[in-house]
Amino acid sequence: MPYFQTWEEFARAAEKLYLTDPMKVRVVLKYRHCDGNLCIKVTDNAAVSDCLQYKTDQAQDVKKIEKLHGKLMRLMVSKETHSGSMETD
Amino acid sequence: GYAHALETQISFLTELTRLFQKCRTSGSVVITLKKYDGRTKPTPRKGHAESFEPVDNKCLVRASDGKKKISTVVTTKEVIKFQMAYSNLLRAHMDGLKKKDKKSKGKKTKATQ
Repeated sequence: MPYFQTWEEFARAAEKLYLTDPMKVRVVLKYRHCDGNLCIKVTDNAAVSDCLQYKTDQAQDVKKIEKLHGKLMRLMVSKETHSGSMETD
Repeated sequence: GYAHALETQISFLTELTRLFQKCRTSGSVVITLKKYDGRTKPTPRKGHAESFEPVDNKCLVRASDGKKKISTVVTTKEVIKFQMAYSNLLRAHMDGLKKKDKKSKGKKTKATQ
């Protein structure tokens, strides 16, 4: 289960994985206030190697993680399009 | 309808707030997000495959503290409203992480907004 070092790499890989198979992918957020950490996992439940994770204890990452989460949510509720015509934030 | 969907989402968000509050001192809050095709029954092995029409505009949001489980369905119609409330909720409650202090002068007083 690869953990990513940089947010940008993770976000790119996560979106790519989602677009490969939107119905299979699930996004999991795990927040531990007592330990001060947040972990986001994106997986298609297939190979272990397709489970992407990013863990952080930095407050500045909360907004990034929440934004990606929101982006994936919007992708999930929009009709499947394969063009680049997504609404910008 | 739309009003009902919003109502279930509001109660989901209220319950999610409670989960975060319960887990301040120990435990985890786990949130799962998945695209949802509207299926309410498992796919039948034979016959009636055509009676189910998958939808393309829904997602399922689940949350748990390990004991209590809550969930809600969000569609294109409510996503904007839901997302605003939901992202505010996450940012407000996921406040236990380390903050980077760029201009640290050793002051202990809190900055005014």
